[in-house]
Amino acid sequence: MSLSTRARRTAPPEQPAIPQSGRGSGAYWLYLLPGFVLLVVIVLIPLVWNVYLTFQKWRGVRAPEFIGLENWQKLFTDDDFWVSFTNSVWMIVAMVVLPTVLGLLIAALLFDVIGRRFGGRVASFLRATYYLPQILPVVVAGIVIGWIVRPDRDGALNQMLGWVGLPAVDWLGQMPSALIVLMVVMVWVQIGYPVVIFMAALQRVDPELYEAAELDGANWMQRFTAITMSIIRPEIFVVTLTCTIAALKVFGPVYVITRGGPAGATLVPAYYAYQEFFTKRNIGYGATIATVLTIVVVIVSVVFIHVQNAMEQKERAGL
Amino acid sequence: MARTTRRTRTLMTLAALTSAGIALSGCSSAGSDDGGDGQTLKLWHYEGADSAMGKAWAEAIKIFEEETGATVEFEEKSFEQIQKTASQVLDTDAAPDLMEFNKGNATAGFLASTGLISDITDAVEEYGWDDMLAPSLQTTAKYTEDGVMGGDAWYGVPNYGEFVGVYYNKDAFAEAGLEIPTTYDEFVAVLDAFVAKGITPLAEAGAEYPLGQLWYQLALLEGDRAFVDDYQLYENPVDWDGPIITSATETLAEYVDKGYIASDVSSVKAEDAGVSFINGTAPIFVSGSWWFGRFVAEATAFDWTMTAFPGADLSLGSSGNLWVVPENAANKELAYEFIDITMRPEIQAIIGNNGGLPVAADPADITDEKSSELIATFNGILERDGLSFYPDWPAPGFYDVIVQELQGLVTGVQDAAETTKGLGEAYDEGTADFR
Repeated sequence: MSLSTRARRTAPPEQPAIPQSGRGSGAYWLYLLPGFVLLVVIVLIPLVWNVYLTFQKWRGVRAPEFIGLENWQKLFTDDDFWVSFTNSVWMIVAMVVLPTVLGLLIAALLFDVIGRRFGGRVASFLRATYYLPQILPVVVAGIVIGWIVRPDRDGALNQMLGWVGLPAVDWLGQMPSALIVLMVVMVWVQIGYPVVIFMAALQRVDPELYEAAELDGANWMQRFTAITMSIIRPEIFVVTLTCTIAALKVFGPVYVITRGGPAGATLVPAYYAYQEFFTKRNIGYGATIATVLTIVVVIVSVVFIHVQNAMEQKERAGL
Repeated sequence: MARTTRRTRTLMTLAALTSAGIALSGCSSAGSDDGGDGQTLKLWHYEGADSAMGKAWAEAIKIFEEETGATVEFEEKSFEQIQKTASQVLDTDAAPDLMEFNKGNATAGFLASTGLISDITDAVEEYGWDDMLAPSLQTTAKYTEDGVMGGDAWYGVPNYGEFVGVYYNKDAFAEAGLEIPTTYDEFVAVLDAFVAKGITPLAEAGAEYPLGQLWYQLALLEGDRAFVDDYQLYENPVDWDGPIITSATETLAEYVDKGYIASDVSSVKAEDAGVSFINGTAPIFVSGSWWFGRFVAEATAFDWTMTAFPGADLSLGSSGNLWVVPENAANKELAYEFIDITMRPEIQAIIGNNGGLPVAADPADITDEKSSELIATFNGILERDGLSFYPDWPAPGFYDVIVQELQGLVTGVQDAAETTKGLGEAYDEGTADFR
């Protein structure tokens, strides 16, 4: 009796009505509507139109002309297309693999070593410096990089080589140096992103875990692999997925720094599609390249999410 | 999760604001353009304010506003901007009344074939512009129904011309005890002499147009007008395995092997090549008359001159960019009046006295001595019907192909035969639609 009285007294006088199934769901749909409209207008219609164009020959104006699978057939025998996708693999190395590995190490060092010894402010300052290239417009960065790696002794890098008696290198004018320069730039641009994400994730790690591990005699590397890595695994997945998509779609740096050269050696799918769309006006063929790129991005995303879910389920099951 | 929700909401708000902005701007542009009130000329061009043409157009705008009482709504565009987006913009109400556009099959010809720019033949005859332009300048202003230049219908009017020749640093020649060459053999002898002195004689740029232009100029050394007509006007198939083109590619490869051009030229841009002539690093620069004004202003540390390519009857060159009138223009009559003003002797003289090549100037109005020399060279080319256009014109996107293939050649990734084959395949594929 007394319990029920207390319960009555503590209960708020008016409980907000919980929408019942059926009646309330309509209101939720209303909230979803703007997003759905944008999805249809910005994503679905262009996507369907893009796929439709892969079967057409079109110069951008006048009516498209149906040519069946011609664009798709051309794609499979087009060396430039395959070069562009091979370069995507190198972009994944530069924008995903290296930044993620380095980002993990830097974040752990900043959080665990620098943060502890020199305080949070120093760690935050260093984190911001790593993040700086992310906020720099890629065009500006590209132009500056272009100056640094200019051929002969005009470029800063070649001048420095000259000081130590080394010959000048035509960095962007030959392979593999042009691709290497592009990759180094991308590592520099990308590294701040994982550092910031991983450092935020590290806030979730209970310091007691580290202390306990330390008391048990675990060294830094053992703590890093056993505690840090396992706790921030979701963030590692997010960073890897978003960076892989960015690497597959990379365009700006290639446009500014190499324009796909020399002799098409640094071509990537997005830039190749752009060339076909806007300079050659082979809209149908450009759409085919863009469609393949979309399919690859979707497959990569689905695989990533699937693997992540599988691992999370395994973890929840205590395996 | 909360962060994600907030971010999604922010993005959605941004998207909504953006679409609202687009809708509003669409409304406003439609509102102002649909009128065609005869009082506003919407004009787009991409000449720098300090260039010969920029100065001339500024004066033309002043005269136009004084004489017609109409206002010029000028929008400064970049060359790339107009090149890449014109076909989309011209199909809308946002189209200007008058626009500067690049000439050639892949550019003005393409727009003409799609009906996005107007056939202005009647206006040309009415104002008598056809009488002011030399026949080889008319070629790039007239197109066929399929957009091939040299047709019967006028789609644009050029006010100036341009050609590719050779700039020589006279002081460097004097220092090396060399004479300015007048034949191709002398030209090669000069190149050899500079190389022997440890100087790379030619300023070149493999990442942009200069190297491709040199390649085509080498082809023109062997070719004749029939070759140009086949290559540019598709009169007959181009023989890519024939001696003319084979010789050009092989000679260019030799230029690299012999050190006439630097081996690390493939990543160099046109600007850098021009600057290496300006600062005296390279004594010779094969490039266009569009550098002339810049060199007058900046290459002041030494004496220099420019001639047509030695030993060649044919030179790269054409009319300058064209004034085109979009089909959707609201004030076409005002556009014609503006074009007419740009053809007046006083405007043409501004072009001529600032390093440009006027097409209808009174020679007495050209007071600058260096400019007179340039105009005399250009007129010499016109008189022998020597303008041969540019190598990338015949097919859309062929510019990028030329750059990439010649980069392959100079870096040694591919030999002359592979380069010629790559160029030929892209040319044939790109021109198939026009034949």
